[in-house]
Amino acid sequence: MHGEVTVPVASLYAAHEKVYPREISGRFARLRSLSVWLLLGAFYLLPWLNWNERQAVLFDLPARKFFIFGLVFWPQDFIFLTWLLIIAALLLFFSTAMGGRLWCGYACPQTVWTETFLWMERITEGNRQARLKLDRGPWTLRKLTRKGAKQILWVSFALWTGFTFVGFFTPIRVLAGEMVTFSPGPWETFWTLFYGFATYGNAGYLREQVCKYMCPYARFQSAMFDRDTLVITYDKERGEPRGAGKRTPQSRAEGKGDCIDCTWCVQVCPTGIDIRDGLQIDCIACAACIDACDSVMDRVGLSRGLIRYTTQHALDHERTRLLRPRALIYATLLASLVAGFIIAVSLRSPVSLDVIRDRNILYKLTDDGQVDNVYTLRILNKSEHPQRYVLEARGAGALTLLPTDRTYFVPSGAVYSVPLRVRRSAYEPLGAETITISVRSLDDPGVHADTKARFLAPAR
Amino acid sequence: MPAPTRVERHRAPTRPAHIAGILGWSGFLAAAIATMICFAFIDPAAIATGNPPGWWGPRMRVYGIGFFFFWFVGIIAATLSWALAHPRRGR
Repeated sequence: MHGEVTVPVASLYAAHEKVYPREISGRFARLRSLSVWLLLGAFYLLPWLNWNERQAVLFDLPARKFFIFGLVFWPQDFIFLTWLLIIAALLLFFSTAMGGRLWCGYACPQTVWTETFLWMERITEGNRQARLKLDRGPWTLRKLTRKGAKQILWVSFALWTGFTFVGFFTPIRVLAGEMVTFSPGPWETFWTLFYGFATYGNAGYLREQVCKYMCPYARFQSAMFDRDTLVITYDKERGEPRGAGKRTPQSRAEGKGDCIDCTWCVQVCPTGIDIRDGLQIDCIACAACIDACDSVMDRVGLSRGLIRYTTQHALDHERTRLLRPRALIYATLLASLVAGFIIAVSLRSPVSLDVIRDRNILYKLTDDGQVDNVYTLRILNKSEHPQRYVLEARGAGALTLLPTDRTYFVPSGAVYSVPLRVRRSAYEPLGAETITISVRSLDDPGVHADTKARFLAPAR
Repeated sequence: MPAPTRVERHRAPTRPAHIAGILGWSGFLAAAIATMICFAFIDPAAIATGNPPGWWGPRMRVYGIGFFFFWFVGIIAATLSWALAHPRRGR
């Protein structure tokens, strides 16, 4: 840059090297597969599930309503969404304090989709050796067809992912119909392509770089760690000094450790690190190295667990404490937030009432010494059933409400706007006051909502 | 014993593409949060009954434009932080 002489030593940044993770089977790989199936299964199928003749999970942004099975959330219920996010964050902190980066290894969308994209890479381009050979070799017809097949799989899967993602926000059956006739709205098209492209780029190419350079969680997760947190560690004491060759009583006597330096743990690592260098920020705790090492140990007849889930205390031959202040504080906070959330949601009033004052006229004096205030009321039926509501108002003086028949039928999940004229004697009481307008269900006597409104009148 | 590459990795990046990636990404995260909070409280359709600007439209359009606006502001903030944290040395 700017004609500076670039000295190799001064290169501050290592060029990215593509990681070719070797496939491995084992306990933890199976656990991750299970997790991938469950999470992706839920993601791709949930939008198609119906509940009471509507989409079961729908964050209907155009209509500003969130449907989650039997629950309907309105913009007024934003507090519940915030609450839920706080619970999710605490759950992440708690699981990190106890089990380390369990989230990264088994549940993070980045891991889950990368795993799927890797699988597609494997069935088209072959195993690690075949992929390495293919990438180094010249562009032959075979390479072209294999790479082409991979791209077709990747792109279609990414587009399907983008479509499903948008299907959480706009009814998926309608969207599917529009897709079939190539007539989705511009924003639907845009977000489908945007999310599809993000999936393709993140899971196909960026992969471990997302964890290393982009993920905020990776940067602060170590703050939740302590010496009792479960981490994936190479047992240095047992493994070192490493070296190839069979382990015999004689080699033991020579002081050789159990690590045969087969480098399988390095080859399987999706972030391309060597776990034997100690705990590293790049490690996403996927446990592929445990599976790899265990299978090698089985083969050479040594006991498993040279690389294993353990704690710093256990490695130091000290006792691991599960119940410690950090764990207890997180657990208590989490439990009370979850309990509070459940109680608050179940006690949520199934009806809400908004009052909007007429902005054009403050009040109107009539010839017979009365004063009128006009409001627009919005009755929101948040319950699962249609309801008949009746409107009432109370104030310091006697109030007359117009119209006289104030019974309204509101379907489930609908908003009903009604004008309301409140009339009172102009000087009794004198001046403005705060009145209470309430709505009450005729079908369900327990269901009601109150709201305050300002009633304006001349001060003298 | 950390491998040399590991030490290098934790230094500040210098490649323009990588820096642009960081700035864009932190702006993106901020924009996602800002959009969510902003439109939880503001209904574009409710504002449309007043005297909205010419580019105003259906909710989805305003959400989209809002998101890109926040992204833009987020990138400006991130770029400024980056510039202030990395003063250029005089030569």
